[in-house]
Amino acid sequence: MIPEELRKELEARIKEADHPRECAVDAMYALQKHYGYLSDEAVQEAAGLLGMTSLEVDELATFYDFIYREPVGKYVIHACDGVVCWMFGEKSVLHYLCKKLKVVVGETTPDGLFTVLPTVCIGYCDHAPAVLVNGQFYGSLNPERIDAMIEDLKRAQSPLVADR
Amino acid sequence: MIPVSVNVLFKNAQPGRPATFDEYCRGGGYQALSEAIHKLAPKEVIRKVKDSGLRGRGGAGFPAGLKWAGIPEKARFPRYVIANTDEMEPGTFKDRVLVNTDPHMVIEGTLLAAYAVSAQKGVFFIRPSYETDAELLERELQVARAAGYLGKNILRSDFSFDLVVHRSGGRYICGEATAQVNAIMGNRPHPIKGGPHMAEQGLWNRPTLVNNVETLACVPHILHHGPEWFKALAKTGTGAGTKLYGVSGKVHQPGCYELPMGTRLGEIIEEAAGGMVRGSEFKAALPGGASTAFMPKQYYDIEMDFEALKKAGHRLGTGSIVVFDRQTCLVAATLNMMEFFVRESCGLCTPCREGLPFIRDLLWRVEHGEGEEGFIPMLREMSAHMRHAYCAFAPGAAEPVEGLLLYFEDELREHISQRKCPFGEHGTDHAEAHH
Amino acid sequence: MPKLIIDSREIEVPAGTKVIDAAERLGIMIPRFCYHPALGSLGACRMCAVKFEEGPLKGLDMSCMVEAKEGMVVSTTDQEAVDFRKYVIEWLMLNHPHDCPVCDEGGHCLLQDETVSGDHGIRRYRGKKRTYEDQDLGPFVQHEMNRCIHCWRCRRLYQDFSGYRDLGAMQISNRTFFGRFSSGALESPFSGNLIDVCPTGVFTDKPARYKGRRWDFERAPSLCLHCSLGCNITGSARYREVVRVEARLHPDVNGYFICDRGRFGFAYANHPERPRRARIKGKEVSWEEAIRHTAGKLREIRDRAGKSAIACLGSCRSSLETQVWLARFCEILALSDPRFFLDEDMEHRVKKAVAKLDGRVAISMREIEDSDFILSMGVDPVHEAPMLALAMRQAFRKGATISILDPRPVSLPFEFDHVPVPVAEMDLCLNAIMKASLSAVMLEDMSQEARYFYREMVERNAGPTPFQERATTLGQKLRESQRPVIVCGTDMVDLNMPSLAGNHALLLWSAKKKAGLFYVLPGPNAFGAALVSPNRESEPILDMIEKGEIRALVVVEADPFGMAMNRERWTKALETLELLVVLDYLPSRSIGEAHVVFPTRTVFETSGSSYINQEGRIQFSSPLHQGGSPVSQVSKGSHPPRNHLEQIPGGESRGAAEILAELASAIAGKEIKTEVENLWAWLATNAPAFEELSESFSRGEGLRLVPEKQPIKDFSDALPREKDRRGKEQMELLLVEQTFGTEELSIYSRFTRDAEKPPWLTMNTRDADRLGLTHGDRVSLQVNGGTLEVRLQVVETVAPGVMVLPRHHGIPWQVFEAPRVSVPIERIKRLP
Repeated sequence: MIPEELRKELEARIKEADHPRECAVDAMYALQKHYGYLSDEAVQEAAGLLGMTSLEVDELATFYDFIYREPVGKYVIHACDGVVCWMFGEKSVLHYLCKKLKVVVGETTPDGLFTVLPTVCIGYCDHAPAVLVNGQFYGSLNPERIDAMIEDLKRAQSPLVADR
Repeated sequence: MIPVSVNVLFKNAQPGRPATFDEYCRGGGYQALSEAIHKLAPKEVIRKVKDSGLRGRGGAGFPAGLKWAGIPEKARFPRYVIANTDEMEPGTFKDRVLVNTDPHMVIEGTLLAAYAVSAQKGVFFIRPSYETDAELLERELQVARAAGYLGKNILRSDFSFDLVVHRSGGRYICGEATAQVNAIMGNRPHPIKGGPHMAEQGLWNRPTLVNNVETLACVPHILHHGPEWFKALAKTGTGAGTKLYGVSGKVHQPGCYELPMGTRLGEIIEEAAGGMVRGSEFKAALPGGASTAFMPKQYYDIEMDFEALKKAGHRLGTGSIVVFDRQTCLVAATLNMMEFFVRESCGLCTPCREGLPFIRDLLWRVEHGEGEEGFIPMLREMSAHMRHAYCAFAPGAAEPVEGLLLYFEDELREHISQRKCPFGEHGTDHAEAHH
Repeated sequence: MPKLIIDSREIEVPAGTKVIDAAERLGIMIPRFCYHPALGSLGACRMCAVKFEEGPLKGLDMSCMVEAKEGMVVSTTDQEAVDFRKYVIEWLMLNHPHDCPVCDEGGHCLLQDETVSGDHGIRRYRGKKRTYEDQDLGPFVQHEMNRCIHCWRCRRLYQDFSGYRDLGAMQISNRTFFGRFSSGALESPFSGNLIDVCPTGVFTDKPARYKGRRWDFERAPSLCLHCSLGCNITGSARYREVVRVEARLHPDVNGYFICDRGRFGFAYANHPERPRRARIKGKEVSWEEAIRHTAGKLREIRDRAGKSAIACLGSCRSSLETQVWLARFCEILALSDPRFFLDEDMEHRVKKAVAKLDGRVAISMREIEDSDFILSMGVDPVHEAPMLALAMRQAFRKGATISILDPRPVSLPFEFDHVPVPVAEMDLCLNAIMKASLSAVMLEDMSQEARYFYREMVERNAGPTPFQERATTLGQKLRESQRPVIVCGTDMVDLNMPSLAGNHALLLWSAKKKAGLFYVLPGPNAFGAALVSPNRESEPILDMIEKGEIRALVVVEADPFGMAMNRERWTKALETLELLVVLDYLPSRSIGEAHVVFPTRTVFETSGSSYINQEGRIQFSSPLHQGGSPVSQVSKGSHPPRNHLEQIPGGESRGAAEILAELASAIAGKEIKTEVENLWAWLATNAPAFEELSESFSRGEGLRLVPEKQPIKDFSDALPREKDRRGKEQMELLLVEQTFGTEELSIYSRFTRDAEKPPWLTMNTRDADRLGLTHGDRVSLQVNGGTLEVRLQVVETVAPGVMVLPRHHGIPWQVFEAPRVSVPIERIKRLP
């Protein structure tokens, strides 16, 4: 179930569009934000709002990298594995993150805060190696900077980027 | 003495923040739009862009004016302009820098394109990792709207046009024009080839223009200063305008540098990017991101321009230069790039969906000491066959492999004969974890 | 017509032909996966690559994507093309499991064929194969995704072609998964076509799983008998059991596909309780004894009570041979003419429909796909004749307007105009639409008869109707159309509608010189029944039995005691009948009640079977096997009996025509032959349409038995409209067909049983409110014949004042008097 407010907001947004399907990705992002990830229930809600079937929504949801069909933490740390970040990855960022947070790739920390996932080149090549956390770049990483980033995030405990 | 850098696209750059609307206007912004709307017919705008020699900066390098002229005058309405801000080519970050530097320049460029093709609606198609830029654009679009540059009857003319930001769910293939149209329509973003042309049946079956944001950002300057001025900015006869060269890799100052189109590779690396990192020696560079081929030392002085590279058998692409040093294993680098392409393949056609993983598997074995002589002809054949895939994705994916085979076959053979990577460890290979 | 050269051979093809099809015409089968003639070209698999050597295109390209153009020179054997195709098949096999030994597709697998054609053998890829978890897609289609080569055919068939939305492609890259959001039965009633189009063993026939290899089966071209469309099928049998039905291509009727009712409804032929031996009063007897007994009794009754004391009843599901033989039987023995319909009103409607079809307006299903405006009266396609819905959808995809005038909550896999008009007002609405579509100029050019018909029948009866506005809008669209089609049912329409629809088609034809008329009839050979039965009105058979005028009933492949309305009266009638002889292959109620039973053969066992579909097309079917009980039933799961028998177990069934000839011989005392030539000659005397057939008889495809022009004068059969007999405080109950659960043959198939939905009573929201009922309530309907309890479904799209109930075999719908009855609202009660 989604709160009435969110439903009304999404319904209004979809009504405004010339074609409801245009709003599919936005609706999925909004529901993902509410549920924490795009669960089966979220897919069904999206379908109902958009006038699509659950299958049709899932055809889209499972295509995209930033739509999470499995549970993720509050902060999804996408470690860039583009060729430039790879070049600067002797102290492999991904490896360090997993070691520090004591998770494997794709796993969420027990406190529900962090999930570590790879992602393709995030476009921050002039600050390699870099990661993307909830829409925010962290670049020129080394173990110290990674530690600092984790601490900052733990302290902030709020999504970095306002809306998705 | 021509200055090393030229400030056209970056003329309003502010340290550490985007240029504001006021700063943009003070720098002459929105004047080109005003002139065009009040004094020029759409056809004339197209003419100027054609004459300027402007070529697309999204990777394909197609002449922009020609693309705009491709929408017939009698084509249906409504019409759409899509400003492609997807930029997912590994090694490419220039569009992010551009939008962050001067969002209004991009907005004005899009408006001019819309005016030229008589479009009613526009979309900034933007990737998830550029979320902060999506918000920036949304804010600045509001400012432009409030100032009367967007919406109905712009500058009290008959021209009405509005722009929205459309967020992608995140896939490289969305950067392809027909796939992007599918993505906006809420379909699975597969490319569509062999169907009616985008110029007549694109978004919602209507005439659609898709251009990269860097391309669009050039347009206000072409109109303001004239096509000849723009053309003369380039260092080569075939080039036009300036280019945002994003330089990354083993250079001292990675970053995005605006230079005349056709500046030599060596100059870009040494003068703009501060030369190789201390202790490193130049080995090779990718001229335009992961879907281009390695250019070894013999191309160090090549003019970074569409035609010059084509003549040399290479491709400028996005002009995003990735620099490799002699300590970096190019087999491993190619392997990394293949991992990217395999993961991002949309899955529609066989060569891309199945052939690229095969190539990746062979490279993985070579890199991890399990390579065999017989792999080399297979790699060569399969890369060559990628030309016959459904869209341009697979041929692009094959380019680094072809470059490797053409210029660095020895490195491959060393891996095979030594039964290990001669360059040592390259960090934990997490490739298996998510496959 | 462009001329091109393929592999040094020249061919001329119609403009627009793809190179891959041009090659096929030369007998060159260019390898392909994603290309399918019905699904179109995609260009995804890259398997059909050829080299274009000369002409407007040069280089390697996909033959399914390129149109043949004048002067093209194409090579399929060019080395680059061969090398490329070899890689393509190698790539496709990268992840393919070593399933051939256990995969049902083996032996008719396109992937096997193209692996050989691509010369791929030794595996060079050493990586891991990706695997999937399969889903349970319901009773019909098996799902084994590991075998998938991502040709995209299934998604294109299911979504683009058929219009259903619960199966698609999820994930990306080589992980792409074709399936549903979650496990569950596929919603499309055409899902079985996935089995035919899938080039590997991802989607296979679940009921036929592991029954055998292609080469083990006895296969023959046959016909689907589960509605009047006459779709072509190929049946497979093994060990005397019909194992599987596949679609067979007919470019004008069903194209490449069939519906699930046709695909899985065949198992009535293997029903364990199917009558296999002659019986007298329930006891198995020898054939000779049964014949002797029956002949004797019939002769005795005829001599005592007169020839009209014996009535013969056939059906619309019998072959033409059987129907003709029943007529001959009556003729030879001087009995009254046979009937082929349980319901006299239905007989009237079907005959009117058949009479209206002529060469000017009769169209095939294929031509429906090319229509730009389809106006449908009283048809619920998905439930009555499912493939018609698919044909309409193809027209929709090309931009056609489709409007459905029907009181039922019709649902179709495309956008259409639903006008929920009650049966009694359908004609008003049709007339209103026509009125709005014909301009004065158009009328001026028409014949006097047409204009008279328009003035007296159409204009006068064009409303008022609550749908006036919609009728006007539709009429305007109809006016602009160039290839309109009128579709008309014979089940949920009143007596006059078939004639009216036919006359309207003639009006459209007069105005536009191109118009189509398409009827849906109540059975695979209803057309034949209409042609064979005489042109006279007869007294209802039940009345005559009750009055004692009929003392003996010979029933041939019909089930009056099971499938007729007025069940109570029919049951009582059993007591008055002196003799009930039933010839059938179904374990029906009539067979159960019969005094004498003669087992007949199904279409799968009978040689010389022809059926006439709803457009008048005569089609032929061949037997799959020689008849007899399936070996699995004889041996009950263990090894077949080791003793040799002289006869096939359960093999006494004979063709109905043969049995009737034998009976006639026994009664008349002389031998009567059953040769085909006699058949056609006899037919020619009865129906002029058959004259042509009798002169040039050959077993070619689809001769259409309609005259060039109707014998009666155009528009001369227009009748005054019927008044709505429904009272104010009454609801009209419609007893309707459903895709699964009502059709006479498939209700005996254990495969389609699994797809049946429980029957619901459906009514409009407003009516439910008025009656104080809500969705989900259990209600009882009380009528003179009895009571029926059923669950209620409330929807928006039913016509007001109408209740819809399927003639589902699980409920006693036969208690009602007619398929359309008035029910006083106080007889509709909610149950606690």
